[in-house]
Amino acid sequence: MLKRLWETCCSLKLAIYLASAATLLLMGGSLLIPFNAHVFGSMDRLALGTWLDQFAANSLEKTWWFYLAAVIMLLFGLNTLCCFIDWLVNIRARWRKSGEYLLHLGVILVLIAYTWGNIAGWRHNGLQCQIGGVTPLTKWPGHFIRVDNFEPVFTGQGPPQDMISDITILEGDRVLHQGRVQINQPFLDGGLVVTPVSFGRQPSGYRVRLADFRRVDFKTNTQIRLNHGGTLRVLRFLPDARRQANGEIFYRSNQLGNPAFELQYTHPNGDNWRGWHFLRQALPKELVGRGLRLRPEAPLFDSYSSLTINYDPGAPLAAVGSGLMTAGVLLALLSFYRKRQRQDRPEV
Amino acid sequence: MNNVHLLQLATLAYSLAVACYLLQLFMPRGWLQKLAFALVLSGVLLQTGCLLWRWQLAGFLPVTNLFSTLFFFSWALAACYLYFELRYKIGASGLFVMFLNLLLLSAALRRDPALPQLIPALDTPFFSLHIVFSFLGYAFFAMAFSLGVLYLWQRFLPNSQLPELATIRKLNEESILLGFALFTLCLIVGGIWAHWAWGYYFSWNIKGVWSFLVWLFYAGMCHAKFVKRWQGTGYALLSIAGFGVVLFTYLGIGVLLDSNHPLE
Repeated sequence: MLKRLWETCCSLKLAIYLASAATLLLMGGSLLIPFNAHVFGSMDRLALGTWLDQFAANSLEKTWWFYLAAVIMLLFGLNTLCCFIDWLVNIRARWRKSGEYLLHLGVILVLIAYTWGNIAGWRHNGLQCQIGGVTPLTKWPGHFIRVDNFEPVFTGQGPPQDMISDITILEGDRVLHQGRVQINQPFLDGGLVVTPVSFGRQPSGYRVRLADFRRVDFKTNTQIRLNHGGTLRVLRFLPDARRQANGEIFYRSNQLGNPAFELQYTHPNGDNWRGWHFLRQALPKELVGRGLRLRPEAPLFDSYSSLTINYDPGAPLAAVGSGLMTAGVLLALLSFYRKRQRQDRPEV
Repeated sequence: MNNVHLLQLATLAYSLAVACYLLQLFMPRGWLQKLAFALVLSGVLLQTGCLLWRWQLAGFLPVTNLFSTLFFFSWALAACYLYFELRYKIGASGLFVMFLNLLLLSAALRRDPALPQLIPALDTPFFSLHIVFSFLGYAFFAMAFSLGVLYLWQRFLPNSQLPELATIRKLNEESILLGFALFTLCLIVGGIWAHWAWGYYFSWNIKGVWSFLVWLFYAGMCHAKFVKRWQGTGYALLSIAGFGVVLFTYLGIGVLLDSNHPLE
């Protein structure tokens, strides 16, 4: 009974049935991918585990095939593993098939690595990192990335030939890694990979003129002391904001549209105020009443380097798997031609 | 003379070779077979010259648009046929391969042969290796397709000028194995490159999925040759179906659908 079960698990026919089922299912299902970007468009931006949780589970009518294909691939992987173990047990009689079975082992390792990486890993896709600033890695709590220097490389007209970012990965204040990221030259450390995506500038505030003709750069956290003893602090800057009917403020985009500052006025005598100032509108009367005048003159921009920061703990295992696959393919070819020389091949 | 003239001459050589192979089927002559082989050989040499010329002009292996990939596919297919001809003397079987090659070339010649600028992400040896392995793999799958058609022809309309069924089957199996080996290397190199360029080694873009399907299909074929029911005619049919999958992956997705491997 157990022997028969084991033979079924190692069966070549089972492998062919499973591979055929997975092929047909993926053929049909994958055709849904280009036409349902709202469901499948984020598959590469997120680790698969996160995508399944956030997108696939909510659109089962379009993603059911994916779950089924995953189960079939899992069974296919188990079948391949059984074949490999069976070969290993009988290696003395079947060592000539080493190439083929190294390839099997490589496939098993890559499948395990992919599953592991997508369950335990995370992805930050195209994270905008301000040059010189520290950007939190929200999916890696307590960790940050700092772009110390950024240099785009241009050769004449057209797109940049390279985007060079010097980066530091921090755990709190402690430096974990330092390195350089360029096109096709990522920063790699274990399963951590940082690649360049693009770069650009984003509005970060406004240069304003005060009533005493002082010019001040208003950005998040800017604080100025006013002549009558009060202090004005910029709590937040939104390049494009909207006030809803209930008074809540909504962030719309990072393009300059309807810019707004959240301001806080404090005075030692306890005269405090906090609220929003939309630059396209007049200064709030509460601030005017406190003798404040602000005239926006020009927007301020910060440069950023957009980076992809992914962590895939299975990547090193996948590298080992692909190394074994390469060795397996080469050995299999060698043994194929040796068998051909000896007229040893399956007959009709 | 420019590099496209070399390609036109190669097309002429292949057309004449097809005519010779066709004549050979119905009017067997030793000199016809030799002439056909000489024509294929000169076609491959002309195409190789054209490829090297374009490579030198561009400064990189020019395989970044539809014209150049069709051209490279055709060159790989012709080189693959030469391998089989030199090794096994398959003679008039070349008719189907060369006819397929002519289709590829005629599709290429209708497109703009201008050398495109290389985008920085493609400026890596991984890209060249990925493409070379990919199209050599495709070429062997195309060869297997031609041998599959040939097998069915020989089975249902036997011709003394064509190889025996057992020989065609043997060549088909070899073609599938070589194609599978090369395509495996293509996926491995592509995976490493993707990890370096995008931060992940497998993309759920439709091109990525179908490339995996091509690999899975031919992995299945490498096993199917051990199953009696799938040997012979079944294997020939699978070779034909497999090439359909290859064509959809290469042309169907590249041209018709939005993918991360666009063809223009």
